[in-house]
Amino acid sequence: MIIFTCFTRHEIIYFLFSTGQTQKMNLFQAITSALDNSLAKDPTAVIFGEDVAFGGVFRCTVGLRDKYGKDRVFNTPLCEQGIVGFGIGIAVTGATAIAEIQFADYIFPAFDQIVNEAAKYRYRSGDLFNCGSLTIRSPWGCVGHGALYHSQCPEAFFAHCPGIKVVIPRSPFQAKGLLLSCIEDKNPCIFFEPKILYRAAVEQVPVEPYNIPLSQAEVIQEGSDITLVAWGTQVHVIREVASMAREKLGVSCEVIDLRTIIPWDVDTVCKSVIKTGRLLISHEAPLTGGFASEISSTVQEECFLNLEAPISRVCGYDTPFPHIFEPFYIPDKWKCYDALRKMINY
Amino acid sequence: MRKMLAAVSRVLSGAAQKPSSRVLVASRNFANDATFEIKKCDLHRLEEGPPVTTVLTREDGLKYYRMMQTVRRMELKADQLYKQKIIRGFCHLCDGQEACCVGLEAGINPTDHLITAYRAHGFTFTRGLSVREILAELTGRRGGCAKGKGGSMHMYAKNFYGGNGIVGAQVPLGAGIALACKYNGKDEVCLTLYGDGAANQGQIFEAYNMAALWKLPCIFICENNRYGMGTSVERAAASTDYYKRGDFIPGLRVDGMDILCVREATRFAAAYCRSGKGPILMELQTYRYHGHSMSDPGVSYRTREEIQEVRSKSDPIMLLKDRMVNSNLASVEELKEIDVEVRKEIEDAAQFATADPEPPLEELGHHIYNSDPPFEVRGANQWIKFKSVS
Repeated sequence: MIIFTCFTRHEIIYFLFSTGQTQKMNLFQAITSALDNSLAKDPTAVIFGEDVAFGGVFRCTVGLRDKYGKDRVFNTPLCEQGIVGFGIGIAVTGATAIAEIQFADYIFPAFDQIVNEAAKYRYRSGDLFNCGSLTIRSPWGCVGHGALYHSQCPEAFFAHCPGIKVVIPRSPFQAKGLLLSCIEDKNPCIFFEPKILYRAAVEQVPVEPYNIPLSQAEVIQEGSDITLVAWGTQVHVIREVASMAREKLGVSCEVIDLRTIIPWDVDTVCKSVIKTGRLLISHEAPLTGGFASEISSTVQEECFLNLEAPISRVCGYDTPFPHIFEPFYIPDKWKCYDALRKMINY
Repeated sequence: MRKMLAAVSRVLSGAAQKPSSRVLVASRNFANDATFEIKKCDLHRLEEGPPVTTVLTREDGLKYYRMMQTVRRMELKADQLYKQKIIRGFCHLCDGQEACCVGLEAGINPTDHLITAYRAHGFTFTRGLSVREILAELTGRRGGCAKGKGGSMHMYAKNFYGGNGIVGAQVPLGAGIALACKYNGKDEVCLTLYGDGAANQGQIFEAYNMAALWKLPCIFICENNRYGMGTSVERAAASTDYYKRGDFIPGLRVDGMDILCVREATRFAAAYCRSGKGPILMELQTYRYHGHSMSDPGVSYRTREEIQEVRSKSDPIMLLKDRMVNSNLASVEELKEIDVEVRKEIEDAAQFATADPEPPLEELGHHIYNSDPPFEVRGANQWIKFKSVS
């Protein structure tokens, strides 16, 4: 079990000035806490998805049905397209819909509903209608043994769709704040939860509700030589790479957690690259067309003259997510470190 | 009969070698065949159903027994290997549902086609692969049927299209295979299987419509084991009469724990399709002893008493064994011998699956596209590339 004890300055300030109590929670407990707060505050909020009633396959909705009743926390049959379509319908009438897609790998039958219906509702009705109170939660990312259909990171597919927001937390504290923001945000949001961190990440998380703003990246560690950008589980990998770089190469890294994939915080990343001159972006999803390509392209447009080396993307291979080859596929710390070294010596 | 012999020789060539003389000596004392009564199937939009009696020959009986026992022991061995962490990832076992895979195979020809979802190890075996190849695929080794790259949910063989992870996605594929069968005009049918959970997916109904509209030789088969993961059918479906869900497609409800019932129903359905009347739907009422997958204990949504009851009253292997022994088609000792041989075969296969080396790292990039000439796969960063060959 990994315990994350290094809080960011933002989090420490929160704790210093808040009066609420905190509790040790892992990622799925933080999610449950956020959902609990939502259902308590908002009488129109409902949670639905496959197997959510008994607590969910990852225990994210444990106890909520008992507490709020079967009208507010209920199971759906096995139909992702139906789940999201139904969620859009609930949201359009003004109720708060929190849908769960059991694995991000299964979100594709619902892709049409998300991209064609949810994302475009406000635009096509000239702001008469919207499904902003829809939030779709889904477990995301590699887990060590997930293979092709339990490990995917599809954020890049959704990044190409204006009208929705895509958010990925890195820790329990971040998850609760970001999820509450997504639920309250007046736009349809997709919230991907790194499934490998459900039990592995443990932190002190406030019991009361709080919000972490969307579309704001966070500088977790300041540095001067190179900027490292990632989201979700990969943030912890690049944090380790940053300390490796400091020890072995004497290189000072600025580590940024992007948090919101779209709309993404261009300013924070560019400000950082202007300072350091080098950028390394890392994600588990395949390289071609992955979100790193968008970041890379925008940064070279904005900060071309500040760059000391080509922008480096350390990502998964352009193959389906493998079964037996997973340890070789994922962009681990060694691959990131190697890319970092090449950039420093460019 | 010739087709049966072909199937038999395929199975036996993979099985342990048994001296034929022992069989000849024993058969002198046994009946050659026996007639059994089987449960009448519920019908939907059909005037007549499959026959209510069937003849089982000694030869067939022994073959089915061996096949079912092999599937059972193979699944239990997979359970063991999973708990030892030799098999990792996801593993969906079908013990309890042996009558479905063996019975379906008995009702069709090897030239017919079959596609199913992820509870596929039994079908992979009945469609012709050896236990060695299946277990090696589960452990992710190069001797596996998909070279170790697919794992539990992605096993394929000739005329067996897998092995599909996304629930319900294989059903429109099955309709497409049926279209190819009709187009090629070789009198083949396609068995398209899905579960009670998948029966609520929209794409199933799309496939029903296309198959009925174009009169495709597609046998839709719903393997109803009463639970979609942890959700019982009553809680998931507005109508649990899965054989009627095809609406305009005729259907039958079959006792999926009785291999003879499954065989007769399959023969009936295959004949229906081959005559050009269009698709037909079969619901096999069956049961799985294990949970949904190896990470599901299987007892939080059903009682141990229920599992025990099915095991003691409706176990498919037990039912066949009792029938054969009581009609003098085989002796208890003979069947026990088959058990011993099957155990040995599984043990050997497990040894192989554990010892075989993993696929080489170069395989990571292979077979993404049909590449001619080979191209380079972009790797984790701009300095890592893999060759893709296929």
